[in-house]
Amino acid sequence: MSIRLQLLIVALTTLILPWAGCQYARELEDALRVSQENALESTADTIALALSAQPARVFRAPEDPRPYVEEQGDLYVYALRSPPLLDGYREDWGIAADPKRLPSADGYGARLQVGSTDRYLFLYVEVDDPHFAAEPANPDPEKDRFDRIDMTLEQPDGSLESYFFATGAPGLIEAQRMIIQSDGTARVASEPRIQAYWLETAGGYHLEARVPLALVESRLWIEAREASGRKAGFAVDSAEGGRLFMATSGLGELLATFIRAGTRATVVDANGLKLGTAGALRAADLEDDPGGTWYRRFVTVDTSSWPIQGSLPDRITGKSIAAALAGRPAAEWLRATGGAQDLLLLAAAPIAVDGRTRGAVVLEQSGDQLLDLRDRALAHLFDLTLLATALAVVFAFSLATFISVRIGRLRTAADSAVGNDGRIRLEMPESGRADEIGALARAFERLLARLNEHARYLRTLGGKLSHELRTPLSIVRSSLDNLESEGVRGDQRGYLTRAREGTVRLQSILAALGAASRVEESIQQAERVSFDLGELLRAAVAGYRDAFPDARFMLEAPADGCLLRGAPELIAQMLDKLIENAVDFTPAGGTIALKLVRAGSNYELSVENDGPSIPDAMLGRLFESLFEHRQGSDENPHFGLGLYIVRLIAEFHDGRALAANRPDGRGAAFTVILPLI
Amino acid sequence: MGYDPAVKKSIAIVEDEAALRENYAAALARHGYQVKTYANRKLAMQAFTTRLPDLAIIDISLEDEAEGGFDLCRDLRAMSAELPMIFLTARDSELDAVSGLRLGADDFLTKDVSLPHLAARVAALFRRIDALRLPQNAADMVRRGALVMDSGKMQTTWNGKPVTLSLTEFWIVHALALNPGHVKNRQQLMDAANVVLDDSTITSHIKRLRRKFLEIDPAFDAVQTVYGMGYRWVE
Repeated sequence: MSIRLQLLIVALTTLILPWAGCQYARELEDALRVSQENALESTADTIALALSAQPARVFRAPEDPRPYVEEQGDLYVYALRSPPLLDGYREDWGIAADPKRLPSADGYGARLQVGSTDRYLFLYVEVDDPHFAAEPANPDPEKDRFDRIDMTLEQPDGSLESYFFATGAPGLIEAQRMIIQSDGTARVASEPRIQAYWLETAGGYHLEARVPLALVESRLWIEAREASGRKAGFAVDSAEGGRLFMATSGLGELLATFIRAGTRATVVDANGLKLGTAGALRAADLEDDPGGTWYRRFVTVDTSSWPIQGSLPDRITGKSIAAALAGRPAAEWLRATGGAQDLLLLAAAPIAVDGRTRGAVVLEQSGDQLLDLRDRALAHLFDLTLLATALAVVFAFSLATFISVRIGRLRTAADSAVGNDGRIRLEMPESGRADEIGALARAFERLLARLNEHARYLRTLGGKLSHELRTPLSIVRSSLDNLESEGVRGDQRGYLTRAREGTVRLQSILAALGAASRVEESIQQAERVSFDLGELLRAAVAGYRDAFPDARFMLEAPADGCLLRGAPELIAQMLDKLIENAVDFTPAGGTIALKLVRAGSNYELSVENDGPSIPDAMLGRLFESLFEHRQGSDENPHFGLGLYIVRLIAEFHDGRALAANRPDGRGAAFTVILPLI
Repeated sequence: MGYDPAVKKSIAIVEDEAALRENYAAALARHGYQVKTYANRKLAMQAFTTRLPDLAIIDISLEDEAEGGFDLCRDLRAMSAELPMIFLTARDSELDAVSGLRLGADDFLTKDVSLPHLAARVAALFRRIDALRLPQNAADMVRRGALVMDSGKMQTTWNGKPVTLSLTEFWIVHALALNPGHVKNRQQLMDAANVVLDDSTITSHIKRLRRKFLEIDPAFDAVQTVYGMGYRWVE
């Protein structure tokens, strides 16, 4: 795995940041939720305290320790915003709840809803009675059978008064009252203060009635009776029940002064029935930022276990309300009934009057505000962490690229430290840096320096050996000279000749060994002049044709001037060495091809010859001093000095020498690259 | 030829290598010279203060003095402006040769030189000295335009001005000038100069002698390089 990939993976671990951010956001949300709970709870508590100071404005009825029991005929009276029209329809009541079914022993269907304004009590009764039985003229309520609705009121003086609604013709009617006359007979009289509308429908009839509050104390019984005798509802005889639990008029306005927009305040009595309400929840406007909260799914708190909002049109239930009614303020999070997304915070605080809890203030707030906050924080967090991750990835990737480029540079340099020309480059890239790669580069440099020292020692070894051996050789030779001059016997002459031949060979070996250092010296003294390389080549090749008649020479060089600034005699010497080398390996009649081309900012001078190819392992070492290489065709010693001299001369001209095999494998090619000046 | 065998020339060999010293001494003695040998500079100087030889053959490095021969050469030159000196050395560096010749040595030989060759060089040197005192022999003269070479006196002039060439340089120019236009390769030049040198040494000899002519005549262009072949004299 490349360093780049490794560091990239390391950089990707910064993706843990958004994850941590989510965790953080969740905790933040929890904290926010708790603080919102506390805030709302204390607000509720404050309102509750304020309300307990003026119980008359909160509770219309005196305290009644008996609980509200619907089955016993207790009635909740909705607060109506405006007096409805008496028309037999309750759509204008604005109550979300359906009328309550009245109990019936014989399956008579009737439903009741009660509402009130400041001055009137409104009744609404639906009766399932397809066969309308009209009220006869002058009816006898005790004996006559007709469809009717009985209503019994507790009057302000505590006495009960019974009325019934019936009609011969549907429409606006008045309640009728039975008056027991002094003779004991009952008489029916209209009560004009109680008006109603009888509406005939397909399945029965509706009755919408209006009763002045002045006539009502706090109890009311309703019973629907069919002509056939079936009935539904509550009769007066049930001593329990029939109580009216009425919302307190004006309480809503009072509550409204306590709350801010977005909060809904409700006051409930000890039964959880709503006495008054104010404010509205802020509608969740989801279309506000449709795409902006895509990451909600990562942070959504699982709300499925939360209780569902227990708010009905007439009452609120729930753990917190129960707690508040028990005297403890409480708050809880609910799921709104409207949609799965809507969260609701509910806080309830008890309203205590004279030390007893008579009701509770319930505040509700949409959780959307909180979500908004969380989302805004999350959006920031996400943006920042993603930016951080992106930066980290980019940075790590750049760093990795940087490092791997540097290592690559070092590797390339190490690969080519010992060039094809046998020269050792001592400078490594990156060695100036203070880090580990720099240290590695410096270690390479030290290694190369040692290698170079060794190479130099090997290079000079020849010269030193040649020098050291010269004196003893001279002694041998001069001794042989003297011996010869003194005169030897004929049979001794053979030995003398052989000894002399030996010294001649030894001397040529020494001369070859010492040649390199002499060449180095003469190179140091060389002078640079401008000359035409092509001219020189043409002249030289003419000479080679004479000198080596066994080989065919071919020359390819630009006709125009190939000016080079350098030492022509050195170039000629270099050419000699290349040609000597080529001739050595060229079979009789073989071709030696010289070619000079301009390539970019260089001249490329190549000498190709027919003959055996060079083993690959040797290619890079041919230009080293004293490299004993190929077996030539003659018996002269080959110390590789010729090519070493080629290299020295090429380097003197800021160029280099390369060896290669011909692509066809049937010969070698030596190329000298000389920069144009 | 130019010297009188009746009068034995005295040659001093200053050489720290005993075997070589004796071999050279034996060979030169065989050629009729009176040879004295010295192992180091001190011994040589002691002897020279009493009597100067006719020729001194001096090794450059003497025992523990790496440049003892040069010092000796300088001292001798101070004692006598005419004393001929030949440097004989195991070294073959250009620099040594140049320094030796600059110090006033008349020739410079490596120890590769064979004894007959040494004897010939010694004879040539004596002949040159003797020739200075003899009348000119027209047969020894080579004239090529501005060049006049007297192989008897080993003297060279260009446009009438003397050119001080070393022996090797003299024979190289002489060989080239004898056949103007003919290319002489390096081997031919070595043979002519009667020296065993490698190619680069021939090259530097050519360079040096060109420079000597150029000092007299900046327009000198008579010694031409024929790359790959050798050199030729053009008029």
